[in-house]
Amino acid sequence: MKRMATGRDAAPASVPNLVFHRLPDAVRDQAEKLGFKDDEMFFGVRGDLDADGSAAEVWTLVAKTRVVSIVVSGARAGAVTGPFELSAIQKARAAQNVGSAFLQLKIDGLYVDMARYSNSHRELFGRVARQIDRQVEGRPLPENALSLPSEMQCVKCGLPLPGRGAECPRCLGGHGIFARTLGLMRPYWVSILLLLTLMVAGVCLDLLPPLLQRTMVDKVLNPPAGTQLLPQHEALRALLLILLGIVGASGGRCLLNIFIGRMTSIIGTRITKELREKLQAKLISLAVDYYNRHSVGSLMSRVLYDVDYFQGFVTQVAQGFLLNVMLVLGIGGMLFYMNWKLALLVLLPVPFVIIGTTFFWRHIYPRYYKVWDSQSKTAQLLSGLLAGIRLVKAFGQEDREQKRFSGAAAYLQDSRRSLETSMATFNPIMGFVFGLGGLIIWYAGGSQVLQAHITLGTLMAFIGYLGMFYGPISALSMFSSWVTGFLSAGQRVFEVLDATVVVTEDPKAVRVPAMQGRIEFQNVTFGYDPYTPVLKNVSLTIEPGQFIGVVGKSGSGKTTLVNLLCRFYDPQEGHILVDGVDVRQMNQQDLHRHMALVLQEPFLFRATIAENIAYGRPDASRLAIMNAARAANAHDFIARRPAAYDTKLGEQGAGLSGGERQRISIARALLCDPKVLILDEATSSVDTESEQEIQKALVKLCKGRTTIAIAHRLSTLKNADHIHVVEDGKIIESGTHEALLTLKGVYHKLVMIQTELTRLEG
Amino acid sequence: MSVPETTLFDDQRLVGMGVRLLTPENANIFEGTFSLLHCAVKDDTLYRGVFAVLMFPIRHTDRFISLRYTDADDKEKEIGIIDELSAFPAEVQRLIRNTLVKHYYEQTLTRIYSVENQFGLLFFDVETQQLGRLQFVMPWRGDRAEDFGTNGKTLLDAFDNRYIIPDIAELPTADRNAFTSYIYW
Repeated sequence: MKRMATGRDAAPASVPNLVFHRLPDAVRDQAEKLGFKDDEMFFGVRGDLDADGSAAEVWTLVAKTRVVSIVVSGARAGAVTGPFELSAIQKARAAQNVGSAFLQLKIDGLYVDMARYSNSHRELFGRVARQIDRQVEGRPLPENALSLPSEMQCVKCGLPLPGRGAECPRCLGGHGIFARTLGLMRPYWVSILLLLTLMVAGVCLDLLPPLLQRTMVDKVLNPPAGTQLLPQHEALRALLLILLGIVGASGGRCLLNIFIGRMTSIIGTRITKELREKLQAKLISLAVDYYNRHSVGSLMSRVLYDVDYFQGFVTQVAQGFLLNVMLVLGIGGMLFYMNWKLALLVLLPVPFVIIGTTFFWRHIYPRYYKVWDSQSKTAQLLSGLLAGIRLVKAFGQEDREQKRFSGAAAYLQDSRRSLETSMATFNPIMGFVFGLGGLIIWYAGGSQVLQAHITLGTLMAFIGYLGMFYGPISALSMFSSWVTGFLSAGQRVFEVLDATVVVTEDPKAVRVPAMQGRIEFQNVTFGYDPYTPVLKNVSLTIEPGQFIGVVGKSGSGKTTLVNLLCRFYDPQEGHILVDGVDVRQMNQQDLHRHMALVLQEPFLFRATIAENIAYGRPDASRLAIMNAARAANAHDFIARRPAAYDTKLGEQGAGLSGGERQRISIARALLCDPKVLILDEATSSVDTESEQEIQKALVKLCKGRTTIAIAHRLSTLKNADHIHVVEDGKIIESGTHEALLTLKGVYHKLVMIQTELTRLEG
Repeated sequence: MSVPETTLFDDQRLVGMGVRLLTPENANIFEGTFSLLHCAVKDDTLYRGVFAVLMFPIRHTDRFISLRYTDADDKEKEIGIIDELSAFPAEVQRLIRNTLVKHYYEQTLTRIYSVENQFGLLFFDVETQQLGRLQFVMPWRGDRAEDFGTNGKTLLDAFDNRYIIPDIAELPTADRNAFTSYIYW
């Protein structure tokens, strides 16, 4: 029996996973024995696994005062967990394990497994856990919270969506890669039409020479027996005229080819340029999360190399596939017109063409993928190796890296060899098959000439057309090899273009020409994996111009606060307001223009120091750039360099110390004159002297701006107006440095640890 | 300069600061309240609601098992590591294996009848060891098929359900060709 993993349940597919305000039929008897009644039910939810991972139907019933789980099918049918009184439940959670999860209730300090479910049910049970939690906390239950449409599956056709909340490709009506590529050519339809007209003219010119050759043989050189010979001078004149006709046809074709080639190149390069721009724009618009899932090497390969296939597509349309199809049709028509019996023999190789093409698709096509994969992996490995070259040398791992690279190079070699050897076998065999077809025509046609059924001129013309006929047929059979490469490249390019932009701009986004810098987090809950919240119901308010410190252990959720404020992600629950406007409704450019971010690892571009400082304000004057650098305590070390502000920096600021890079990034932030300044561990990776320099710069930078500083070194936050201590996604302490010390809580403990560390270092 | 292996791998300073090993001598593991696993550690305390996690789930499924619990602040913490499960009494072994079964849920693929690509999704029709024949849908992306050991693959379907092919070379040729046509990395 075939089953979809999305519905691997032991219960029939028609049984809903969720029932409201009544007992599910499957457990009615047993539930009633346990004292559950329809009128006290909130909802029942169906799980698909038993505790040991075997397929089973398990219902969890949530009533006004109690919760119970009942196993309906499987080896433990009839087993019951609970009932537990709501008053005894401390909280509920969806505990994610490897490949499945449990709905757990915390009772007497212990998490008790109520129901196990496969990840297919994760979305539903995640909502159920939150719902029970709300019930336990006595908060009102939103009516539709459980029955909201799935964000993982299309509500119409059930197809899993390419991304959370993305459009269903099936219901949208997916366009093929070819159709979409043709769509890219739409702006050039006039040129394309002209190309097609020229191509038809070219095919007509191609058909002319064999016809003239037939006339030349039959009328001038070797007239059939019984026909009158032309006088010699007339024969010579006719011969000259015919040859001039052939030269004219060939010359015309030559001119057309030049014109077609030039036009093809112009259109093709324009399309690839536009496509690269589209890809780059799309890549910039994609959420940070996308880059966690795709390597930079593979994305670069798509923009740089895969796009080239689209130029090839234009060439194929203009000079390859379409031309060959027209030639095959035109020549085929001429062959049947001249002698249909011989023409039928010409079709003998066609089954072999079909067999060859099918073989190609099944056995050679996948090898293109491997070649691309091997190229991408080699590029990634090399890029990582070169970026981390100091680490490799420091740990003396040169030999090991050499071996790793050899492995990747061998994979590249194998995949290429595999592709090219199979192509090297396939192509000659196909050529041989076509050659055999030609020999058949020589024999059959020759026989007809000997029997005087056709003239020698007709056979010569036939053979001439035949040479032209097998060429395009052969090219068409090879076309599949190009198509395979194009399709795999097209698939990779469109995959990027179709990627869901998780954080989208509201069409009615509010413009914010000026910002005060008041920030408010209202009951914000967020998780990079939506089922595992990193921030849990966080609320805080920052007044304009305040200096706010955020402290906490690694992984507590500090940087997530900043990621949400910058709108790199949107919260799953709650709102983030800047000057009273939800950031989701705010124009993103305005939001980012008024904010500046100084990260722990400053990112500098391969450009001059001046260009790096002016990155956010390319129009900044030289003086403004120097002022910003001066304020960031960067001016002096820049001035000491031979090319000063015109110093060209290497990859990621190579040639500067960590502290120097950081001060340039601070100057960059300063030049933008942001209303909100975010410092994410801005000084944690620099030496003490650099830190002092940076701190001095920051004092200037923070004046008159709302500043959020995430810091491990608590000494840097002494002067903060307010400090929030984040732990496990919640703000557990808030206040001034002194107030938090008096509280003798987590902050006090952190300060004591750091004081002790400083003493040990001293 | 060559360094003797013993100092490389048996640095006593690291041993002292490293993981705590749980042995039958220092750990009493039993089933307690709500049928949950409990573990009493000598010279320490009683941990309730204990669960087990494999530290090397591909290479060592019976060794290096981390026993963990959720503390009062809902944080997951480690009690210690069981080096060799076989060193414990049979009943304890059963209890630990039961809790491991709860932690992992994966289907092992034995056949791949077909793979089709539509809309950037791969539609698999497969035979699994545990559930028999079934179909699943997987986004056609590199991050959805990861290496499993040296020659296997872990597939994640659209809902993050896990499917393991322990060794691709062990698949029948036609299945392997169908699979590697799409999962070529």
